[in-house]
Amino acid sequence: MKINPSFVKKLLVKFIKEELEKFNFQKAVVGLSGGLDSSVTSCLCQKALGAQNVLALVLPYGDRFAKDVQDAENVIKALGIRSKKINIQPMVDVYYSQHPTNNKILKGNKMARERMSILYDFSSREKAMVIGTSNKTELLLGYGTIHGDMASGINPIGDLYKTQVRELGKHLNVPPEIIRKSPSAGFWPGQTDEKEIGIDYEKIDQILYQIVDLRKPKKEVLSLGFSEKTVNKVVAMIKKSEFKRKLPPIPKISTRTVGHDFLFPYDWGK
Amino acid sequence: MKIALVQTSPVLQDIEKNFSIHLRFIDKAIQNNIDLIIFPELSLTGYTLRDLVPETAIIPEKNKWFDQFKMISRDISIVLGFVEEREKGNYFNSAAYFSKGNLLHIHRKVFLPTYGMFEEAKFFSQGKKFSVFQTPFGKTGLLICYDFLNYGADYALFSQGADIIIVLSAAPGRGMGEKSGYSSSHMWELMGETVSRFSTVFLIYCNRVGYEDGKSFAGGSFIFNPEGELLAKASSVDEDFLVSTLDMNELRNARQKLFYKRDNKPEVILRSLNKVIFENED
Repeated sequence: MKINPSFVKKLLVKFIKEELEKFNFQKAVVGLSGGLDSSVTSCLCQKALGAQNVLALVLPYGDRFAKDVQDAENVIKALGIRSKKINIQPMVDVYYSQHPTNNKILKGNKMARERMSILYDFSSREKAMVIGTSNKTELLLGYGTIHGDMASGINPIGDLYKTQVRELGKHLNVPPEIIRKSPSAGFWPGQTDEKEIGIDYEKIDQILYQIVDLRKPKKEVLSLGFSEKTVNKVVAMIKKSEFKRKLPPIPKISTRTVGHDFLFPYDWGK
Repeated sequence: MKIALVQTSPVLQDIEKNFSIHLRFIDKAIQNNIDLIIFPELSLTGYTLRDLVPETAIIPEKNKWFDQFKMISRDISIVLGFVEEREKGNYFNSAAYFSKGNLLHIHRKVFLPTYGMFEEAKFFSQGKKFSVFQTPFGKTGLLICYDFLNYGADYALFSQGADIIIVLSAAPGRGMGEKSGYSSSHMWELMGETVSRFSTVFLIYCNRVGYEDGKSFAGGSFIFNPEGELLAKASSVDEDFLVSTLDMNELRNARQKLFYKRDNKPEVILRSLNKVIFENED
């Protein structure tokens, strides 16, 4: 599970640079929450494209996450990248004033999609590609909002587990308070991923690594000392979230169908 | 004999652009008195073609770019990768060797990886032979990427008396560890060292770089001498133009110490293989 952070940095910086060149973008736009993943991603973008070509959008809901906004601003300052802060509370509240709910998950997902919509709006305004910030752990667990934070043009850190992103973050000199911070989806104050999932990231990543990377059967994963309940929970989360990692199924009717046998590379002509 | 390996990144589908990239490197090679220049697998088209295979295919006998490569090969020998069309609608992942104004040889990839991230057999027909051909520099055999990892393929070239084995590759890097570089790169070097030494041949491996659909081609092109010693190695992941001089006397030197070629018994191996083919149903 160990990575060589300097080699990984090289690969990801090269990836961002090449992808933007291929698709004719000079600029990137990143949603910066003040958490680890978006800080690391912003830093990689800055290295790949230059500070003036990275726009960080800080998109808080009111002033409920003041500490995170402060952390985001520190990253922006340290990297010298461009930024804009937009409060999403008015847009989200207008909707919920007409369709009230007390369900925090609903509201959190709505906020994630509001942010996505602003990122894509700025993508058009600025001719900048939206850069994803979803790590491998959350992609596999489906711990993200479909069409929300999971939406992007390219996703540089998508093959790094959370704990590996942390290693990379240290190498990139991301501020220590961000490295140490408990990861959170930011749906409500005090929410943390580990509390909500009920397993800490070290353990989750170890289990995922055994199952996904090494293709170990459950029996062998259990023999490493993980409880059956924990392993079952991880496996169930992977299975339940497959839809978040795929385009929606299309019923095949014709002889050649999008998603079935209309098979062209993403980088067509690039 | 001076050779150059072009560790580059083609533009997917755009043969016109790739042709000019080839010319640029060939010019550079000619200026550096290179005798043989080698490009990676599918260097004229890019790798992740999928349904673009038919529209990027070339019929070698009637193709304007091939006519030009033939002409240029009066000054320098050229090895490159392309999509070949045979019998109207049969497509191969092929490699061409141009020399002295002629298209000297074509190898059609036999082992088409189709598992995990690979899907070549969905789009390409399978080549049916491994053959050695005479070049101005010695008897040569061509392999494409996964061909090389089957030691039967290497053995076939060895038994036909190859002096030089050239591998064109588009190998994506995969697997990480604490060390710098992809863990998969080690596998190619391991095979390179083994095949060069135990066949007493020059082993030339030319891999590409760049990203296609998120796959990162790992570069790390290399050359081993007939005693299994590393002569030259390109950087991993980055573009490179690797130049090396091969001393063909090393073939004789190696074979005076290592007798694998003299002691080879293809007829015994063939008898054993026949048994596998005709007696074992599964």
